[in-house]
Amino acid sequence: MIDRLIIETALYRCRNNSLPESVCRYLRLNRKKIHVATPLADIRFVVFDTETTGFDVRHDKIISIGAVSLRAQRILVGDSFEVLVRQEKVGDREAVSVHGLLCKDIAFGVDERTAVSGFLDYIGNSVLVAQHAGFDIAMVNQLLSRYFGIRLFNDVIDTASLAKRLEKGPYYNLAHKVGEYKLDALCERYSIRLHDRHTSAGDAYLTAQLYQRLLAKSRKSGIKTAGTLLMK
Amino acid sequence: MASNTIVERVAADLSKYPPFDVLEPAVVQDLASSLSIHYHEEGEMIFRKGDTLREAAFMVMKGAVRLFDSMDDEEILVDLCDEGDIFGVRAIFGGSSYVLSAQVAEESLIYEMPAEKIRGLIAASNAVSMFFAGEFAKSMQVMERSLTNAFDQRKLRYSEQSCRSFLEHETLEVKPVANVITCSPDITIREAAKIMSDCNIGSILVVSADNHPLGIITDTDLRKKVVAQPGSVKEQPVRDIMSSPVYTITGRKTVADMVMLMVKTKLRHFCITEDGTVNSPLQGIISEHDIITSEGNNPAVIMKEIMAADQVGQLKVERDKAEHLLRIYIGQDVAVHFISNIITEINDALIVKAIGLSIASLEKEGWLLPDTPFCWLSLGSEGRKEQLLRTDQDNALLYLDPPEYLKAEVQASFVALGRKVTSILEQSGFALCPAEVMASNDEWCQPVSVWKKYFSRWILTPEPKALMNATIFFDFRPVYGDASLAADLKKGIFEELARGRGFLEFFAKNALQNPPPLGFFRNFLVEKSRDHANEFDIKSRAMMPLSDAARVLAYEQRIPDYLSTVERYHRLADLLLPEKDLCLEAAAAYEFLMRLRVVNGLDQGSSGRYIKPESLNKIDRQMLRNVFTTIGQVQKTLNMRFQLDYIRD
Repeated sequence: MIDRLIIETALYRCRNNSLPESVCRYLRLNRKKIHVATPLADIRFVVFDTETTGFDVRHDKIISIGAVSLRAQRILVGDSFEVLVRQEKVGDREAVSVHGLLCKDIAFGVDERTAVSGFLDYIGNSVLVAQHAGFDIAMVNQLLSRYFGIRLFNDVIDTASLAKRLEKGPYYNLAHKVGEYKLDALCERYSIRLHDRHTSAGDAYLTAQLYQRLLAKSRKSGIKTAGTLLMK
Repeated sequence: MASNTIVERVAADLSKYPPFDVLEPAVVQDLASSLSIHYHEEGEMIFRKGDTLREAAFMVMKGAVRLFDSMDDEEILVDLCDEGDIFGVRAIFGGSSYVLSAQVAEESLIYEMPAEKIRGLIAASNAVSMFFAGEFAKSMQVMERSLTNAFDQRKLRYSEQSCRSFLEHETLEVKPVANVITCSPDITIREAAKIMSDCNIGSILVVSADNHPLGIITDTDLRKKVVAQPGSVKEQPVRDIMSSPVYTITGRKTVADMVMLMVKTKLRHFCITEDGTVNSPLQGIISEHDIITSEGNNPAVIMKEIMAADQVGQLKVERDKAEHLLRIYIGQDVAVHFISNIITEINDALIVKAIGLSIASLEKEGWLLPDTPFCWLSLGSEGRKEQLLRTDQDNALLYLDPPEYLKAEVQASFVALGRKVTSILEQSGFALCPAEVMASNDEWCQPVSVWKKYFSRWILTPEPKALMNATIFFDFRPVYGDASLAADLKKGIFEELARGRGFLEFFAKNALQNPPPLGFFRNFLVEKSRDHANEFDIKSRAMMPLSDAARVLAYEQRIPDYLSTVERYHRLADLLLPEKDLCLEAAAAYEFLMRLRVVNGLDQGSSGRYIKPESLNKIDRQMLRNVFTTIGQVQKTLNMRFQLDYIRD
């Protein structure tokens, strides 16, 4: 309901030409929620990942977004997205050691506003998928809120939670071994070869392969529609 | 805009496998961004026989897919695809439905490549088009020159490779003499001779004012055209006696190139010019001597050394050199028939020398060889001129029937000779035959009449097991002595064949004992029977079926010459016109197998017979799969030709 309110308010600003066209397009596409009976094969999923200057969702910055789409169980290589964001600083020493992006790389990026508008254009009303999705969504929302006063309205699937749900049952919520549902551990468990780790596009591609296997597993558990997958 | 990281990742995975390994990165990236990646769990069907063709071809990126045909509810395994294998290529070439079913054998990641995109690549790239022609033929299970295409494809790939290795091993290049001594065509013969003697050189190049080569004067020219001529010609200009034009080439030629050029042209000097023609400036000269000394390994030199040897030990040294030469030739992808001709010449020279040394040694010990004409026969692979690597020796001795009272004495002498020779061959690296099929065994050291009886027995009362062991005798070839004895024996065999109806059918049946495998899957050889072996016996599974079939057909066609398997198929191609294409495919297949066996043997320091599937690259595997198809076709033809289905065991 609150989503609907924000969308309509923002669309009012669109009519006053105070929001860019790509944002308005995104808003219009998301006015309607996905129907619960939609078969999984008909849904466009966008698997994405962000690299950031740190892990504080309020103060740290996005330095890259990578994504690839998936439809009818197939990863569509050409329908992918990658953007480097120009930032003044690349983060503390710890973050640099994770993503390996240095100042000179970031300097080639586009500004935050262009980057996030491009991302909105790319995702449309697809179902978003990410590993530990909460963090990446929050990071994108930080930008959206800052520039356009909106946030993401798409349905979201967190691969770590989905894996947990498929492996341990839907209401399993007990403490599990630390790290058991990290991307590396999941990739190893589902025998996915690690490549280009810690670049947003590389991680998005790995997450897409993981999600593909989880979807196959879902089918066997009787998950065949948007409703059952999103637990709506 | 698509993600570069992801597209490049997928492109990198694609270009690990043919045909994409030879394409430009940009082309592969374009293909990568057009494809979709599908994940399948074990047991899923990708398509079924009879399904409408999809608009995509498939490549296994991870996992395994089995292709099978089904008839009356029975599944017939046709192929197992593993990483890098492409299937479902009918979609590219049109048609309406799949002729095989594809089922996931292990959870798989499959790249689905749009057929339209592949069609574009085929139109643009020769390598891709040849590759898919081969793949398509394979999927159709028809011959249609698939092998020829595949061989061209392999050649293309390997010639690039050998170019690379040639650049890496610069030592294999013949270094031309750069500071060539030259003279103008107008100086006198006397002056030229003086320069040659002053510089201590055997030849001098005659060049024009702008340094283009005009001709050459060698010692031989001086001897024949000057010294041996009456009257004084020494004051004539050199242009009158020079050999002209000279043979010009461009630089950077390998030893193998030069050896072949020398054999082909029978010349001893080659001029290197800027553009390889006589109309450009001279850069250097390569003489026979340079070629010979550049590696110290030259067939002509090895032959000479063998013929001049007076010690048994030298024979092994020279034969080892021949093996080194073999290594160079194989490394540079020299044609197998050329290599086997050279090695056979060397082997034969070695046998002839071994016989010469043995006769001399017998005489020294007081044995005098009877003056009965005799003939040394090579059997089996050496009889077929195919013994590139030193394997067991198989030989026999044939002599003219002596008068009754001398029988025992004559045989004793020849057996003594056989012992000496086989022992020398053993010391030269040819192991003794464990079954003792050698001239040192009195059973195989016999007069013509007994040999004819042997063949008569094999032909008139064929017994499957005995026949299997006797096939090597049907490949006999005279190497030393009176060849008319061997010709007489062969004539006798043909006469028996005419009498012994039914023998060729037995012979053919024997050739069909070993159906070819289907192909390779990871480290296994895939069999129709589904008993998969982890070792590939190239001799019994691929070479013997082909050489056995060639032998049967050669005898059926009464070919009197002593031919190799490849030569037999070439001859058969002319004799059996309806099977011409198949015969040529079989010849090419056999050459490919010979090369593969030699490469493996040189790598392992063995006979090369047993190949570990993991040592085969993708292209070799694909080639072998095509070769197996050819073997299957040859066997089918043999089966029909001799109507073997009607013969009971």
